[in-house]
Amino acid sequence: MIPKIAELLRGQFAPGAHSELRAQRSLTRRVTLLQGNLTRNARAESQGVSARVYQGGVYGFASQAELSGEAARRALKTATGNAKFLDGHARRGQGALPDISSGALATQEDFTDLPQKHYLDFLRPLDAYIAGKYPGLASRSLVAYADSMEKQLATSDGYTSHILAPRSYIYIFLNDKAQGGMPVEVFKTYGGSGTFDIQFKAPEDLYPEVDRLYEHLMKKREGVFAQAGKKTVILHGELAGMLAHEAVGHTVEADLVMGGSVAGPMLHEMVASPLVSMTDFAHSAFGQEAPLPVYVDDEGVLAEDAELIRNGRLTGYMVNRELGRHFSMRPQGNARAFGFNDEPLIRMRNTAVLPGRDKFEDMIASVEDGYYLISSNNGQADTTGEFMFGISLGYEIKNGRLGRAIFDTTISGIAFDMLKTVDRVSDRVSWSSSGFCGKKQPMPVGLGGPDLRCQVMIGGK
Amino acid sequence: MQILNDTVALALEALSGLGAQICSARAVKSCRNEFNVDGGRFSLFRTTLDSALTLQAIKDHKRGLVSGNSFDEKAVRLAAADCLASAEAGQEDTAWDMADTGGGDFAQDPYEPDMDRLFARTREMLEEIKQDYPKVIVEQLVVSHVQADSVYENSKGVRYTAKSGWYEVDIMFSGHEGDKSSSFNGSGFLADSLEKPFLELAGLRRLLADAQNQIHTTPASGTGEGAVVFTPECLGSILYELAGNYVSDAVLIDGTSQWKDKLGRQVADPSLTLRLAPGDGRIISGEKYTEEGYRSEDFALIEKGVLKQFLLSDYAARKTGHTRAPNSSFALVVEPGDLPLENIIASIEKGLLVGRYSGGAAGTNGEFSGVAKNAFMIEGGKVTHAVSETMIAGNLAGMLDQIIGISRETVGDGTSVLPWLAVRGITISGQ
Repeated sequence: MIPKIAELLRGQFAPGAHSELRAQRSLTRRVTLLQGNLTRNARAESQGVSARVYQGGVYGFASQAELSGEAARRALKTATGNAKFLDGHARRGQGALPDISSGALATQEDFTDLPQKHYLDFLRPLDAYIAGKYPGLASRSLVAYADSMEKQLATSDGYTSHILAPRSYIYIFLNDKAQGGMPVEVFKTYGGSGTFDIQFKAPEDLYPEVDRLYEHLMKKREGVFAQAGKKTVILHGELAGMLAHEAVGHTVEADLVMGGSVAGPMLHEMVASPLVSMTDFAHSAFGQEAPLPVYVDDEGVLAEDAELIRNGRLTGYMVNRELGRHFSMRPQGNARAFGFNDEPLIRMRNTAVLPGRDKFEDMIASVEDGYYLISSNNGQADTTGEFMFGISLGYEIKNGRLGRAIFDTTISGIAFDMLKTVDRVSDRVSWSSSGFCGKKQPMPVGLGGPDLRCQVMIGGK
Repeated sequence: MQILNDTVALALEALSGLGAQICSARAVKSCRNEFNVDGGRFSLFRTTLDSALTLQAIKDHKRGLVSGNSFDEKAVRLAAADCLASAEAGQEDTAWDMADTGGGDFAQDPYEPDMDRLFARTREMLEEIKQDYPKVIVEQLVVSHVQADSVYENSKGVRYTAKSGWYEVDIMFSGHEGDKSSSFNGSGFLADSLEKPFLELAGLRRLLADAQNQIHTTPASGTGEGAVVFTPECLGSILYELAGNYVSDAVLIDGTSQWKDKLGRQVADPSLTLRLAPGDGRIISGEKYTEEGYRSEDFALIEKGVLKQFLLSDYAARKTGHTRAPNSSFALVVEPGDLPLENIIASIEKGLLVGRYSGGAAGTNGEFSGVAKNAFMIEGGKVTHAVSETMIAGNLAGMLDQIIGISRETVGDGTSVLPWLAVRGITISGQ
């Protein structure tokens, strides 16, 4: 654990100026086996302190790559100087930030940083299983990945905290060739929050998952190109989560609303089918711990859920302290920083579409001619709400039954138009949490949702 | 620089002492001073003092890689021990090695920042945008000066030092009129001085004007084949995707590259010459040496349509039996063509001018499909109107055989120099 630094220096904050001091250590481990070759065997660590000071409507920020009280003092001094410089030049003339509740969050439990050998010893038998059972594969690739953030925060008027957030994943990629020699690939990610040994007990536990993935690959080998155009689709919960995050979540981040996002004029308007509700969960969802729980943010705000859409109506934005004042909304813990040298930005946490009442099987049976889209290899969206998701696994639906697999394709649409076409919502929820959201800084986020039946544009031949 | 020299010496001694037969250490100290503008208003002045230490060790043909950011002696020795432990846990692979030739000392100005002038240039930029492009909202602007010192040394006697500084500008914006808005657009570029107003660099005025002209859009109608003109900003991302799919380490090691047998053969129209050139005078603070310690040299990836080189690291080159790429940057320089952009557009009966591509990662087969963003329709040889909800699909490799024209105009952003490039045979799908 990092030594107590931030809290001890709280007394040095300038009176009246909102100030934050954060000490942070981030760890990453990655092991890659590509066709059995160990192509990546790496550990990365970064640590340091940062300070941020608010003056007249602008912030000064400074960081030092050192975990010590002296470094924290230097950072605080530079941040104070930077706030003064920018206030003097920009002259925005804003007053102090509104009060928030204060307190101290109990220090979270420490965890063990497992050695590199642990990851490699887990991957080797898994790789050997794939190579032995499926020798005809064109190629295979396995990645063991773990990262963690330890943050110690003291603020002039909010919560102090000391949090530790590890997460661990295994990625499996399988490649083969379709007719005509065209390469096809499937992949899946396993894991979630917690250390690698908590997430993964034994390589054998993943063998059935590998077998299922291989079955998808064999079907994709015999796949077809999707037909381009507007189609009825069933989006798997993973894609519903991506929609919640990329296409809706970003447009209701208050800084992007200030930048002119499409959601600006839509507050309190109907933006989706009445079947659609959406929340950015802080630390618990549906009676369980959320995939990547956030208990307090990096402005010292105690985290709570942020409701975004209720029964189709846009009910709120995600704000930080400053934009909470601008929009007269209560900050709910969305200000998060990635590295020790990063300032807090408005970020999502665990963003999900809420489940409905439909059974997945009935939803498939309800589609005469369409697609069941299961997983994605990336997604992007615009402040206009126009989104694009790469589809890496999907199947045709013909007369209510799953048909042939489809090759990689893309779906797109305008989020708030597309959400109005949602007419069935399943009663099951799928989460994913392995990715990073990109917005000046990366950030681990959870996203999830139920299966949705809706209309989207699909790319293809 | 002394602390970097001391840290590197300590790390190499620790790695060798622990049994590394080949090892390297790279230490970097950097300082970033940055102004942030959000929603058109100054919001943050950020100063970060960072350090980085990267250690590599090879023992019995097993390799470990560790990075950290502490130069404290205890931390360096712990990192060295962790690096050796990683290597020992690894597997024997004779392809791991490091450079035994190279070395040099480099310096690049502006090493010291002029923060008052940087603030003035930033404010000037915001004022000019407000005045000349009144429908544009600046969503975010980040303007920085970066100063970096680095030392690299390996156990084979190769040593580099570098002291460099540069300015960076990253801007995101969109056009607005009433409730209507354009897709966001943006630019990121490097500058080695503050002599010119930022708005005169990297084609920024054109992008801002486009944002105003993209507020009102209509989807393309129907589905069919057409031509696509990629702007320089879009072309860079398309070529990056192409490189990952056909000439990078992973796809050549696992053999899934469709170009694995194409070295020395025609893979593109003869009008295409594409170099990776960190030493080009228009590239700012380009790569000086590779991760394995080789001095970076410019080279042609594709010359007159012929594939001349794979983008392989030293390790992947040994694994595949090819030669390593002479640099590991992606400082793209595409040779301009003979025709003005206007003439290329005039030759297109139906197509799109695409400023940004938002698509799923193309599979190893190179098939891509995605949304044409910041795009205009081309009809009868003229740019007619902005489009939205329009998708394009094609094949990355196949596209290079279908080049209609490469513009003689280019745009340099300090990291690349690229022209407009037009191809035919792309599937365009609208409503």
